[in-house]
Amino acid sequence: MATLIGGIGTSHAPTIGVAWDRGQQNDPQWEPLFSGYKPARAWLDEVRPDLFLIVYNDHVNQFFFDVYPTFALGVGAVHAQADEGYGKRPLPDLPGDPDFAWHLARSLVTDEFDPTICQEMKLDHGVLSFLPLLTDTNWKVPVVPLAVNVIQHPIPTARRLYRLGGALGRAIASYPKDKRVVVFGTGGLTHQLHGSKFGTKNAAWDNEFMDRLESDPAELSELSIQQYMERGGTEGVEMIMWLAMRGALGRKVRRVHRNYTAPFTTGYGLLVLET
Amino acid sequence: MDDVISGAYVFTLERSAAGYALNKMAKTLGSAENRARFVRDEAGYMREAGCSAEQIDLVARRDWKAMLESGASIYLILRIGAALGVTLPEIGAHTAGTTLAEYNARKAH
Repeated sequence: MATLIGGIGTSHAPTIGVAWDRGQQNDPQWEPLFSGYKPARAWLDEVRPDLFLIVYNDHVNQFFFDVYPTFALGVGAVHAQADEGYGKRPLPDLPGDPDFAWHLARSLVTDEFDPTICQEMKLDHGVLSFLPLLTDTNWKVPVVPLAVNVIQHPIPTARRLYRLGGALGRAIASYPKDKRVVVFGTGGLTHQLHGSKFGTKNAAWDNEFMDRLESDPAELSELSIQQYMERGGTEGVEMIMWLAMRGALGRKVRRVHRNYTAPFTTGYGLLVLET
Repeated sequence: MDDVISGAYVFTLERSAAGYALNKMAKTLGSAENRARFVRDEAGYMREAGCSAEQIDLVARRDWKAMLESGASIYLILRIGAALGVTLPEIGAHTAGTTLAEYNARKAH
């Protein structure tokens, strides 16, 4: 029987990957972010997961607007890296877990969530920015990626993502093989990449969001997409994907670790919860 | 839902349809070979990709704000910027109606 051992909420800003590749882990502006990931990595080393289920969004690297799925599931044995415009980063391709992914596809569709099934799915910073901070880059833990449209409106509501999380939890519980799973919700926190409020962050909202995600996610999931964008920016709306992680974990959680730092244009949040 | 939120143009289906050709062109810049071809002849590359004269003009003038308003995705604008050596802060400042130097000066206060 598969077991859901916990969830991680994390920003996936591309700057994290750039700073990592440049070796800026000890730069004064970056150090609080990178050391903030160390307890999360220590927790992963301790609980020894053998699968990461990562809810993220593609930034028009895999998908284009000719066919833009609201939900898309990567079921391949390998996930290649996308060239985001600067050439690929020095990272190997990520291993997938087709057996679990096909089970997840069947379970989700039965549960009335209908992802586009992708046997090839190139991944971008939505997954690869933070992953080297949490695990060895020989990628010993396979990844099943679940992409969400948070870019082309209409996008799914926060409530739908919270309910998707419930469906992820049921799929894990019904997987017949032994597997220790950690679910990720990624993106955000607040950032505004363009327009008259370019560069605006909202640290108060970021922290309130992380508080309420832990204590009362159902209420948080009732906010509208417009409310999320007003509080956290049109791109900051990505943070609704954290609700899928939280929805998977069930009512009661124990906080293992939390970190927040915002030296540049994005609020970088990190939250580790145990079931 | 409003069309402009947090001072930004929301990327609606209407914008996505209007900006389709420009976005499709920018999507091709995920390869080094295409980036090199684009940089050698921006207008020719864009024309071949089906962009309108107006879209070609917006890129020639680096009018990032007008590109967004007329339906470019911010993520694809950043890909055009990556090919041309224009950074996110420069693009962001332009869309806020200022320059990067002014933006940084204001932030420092």
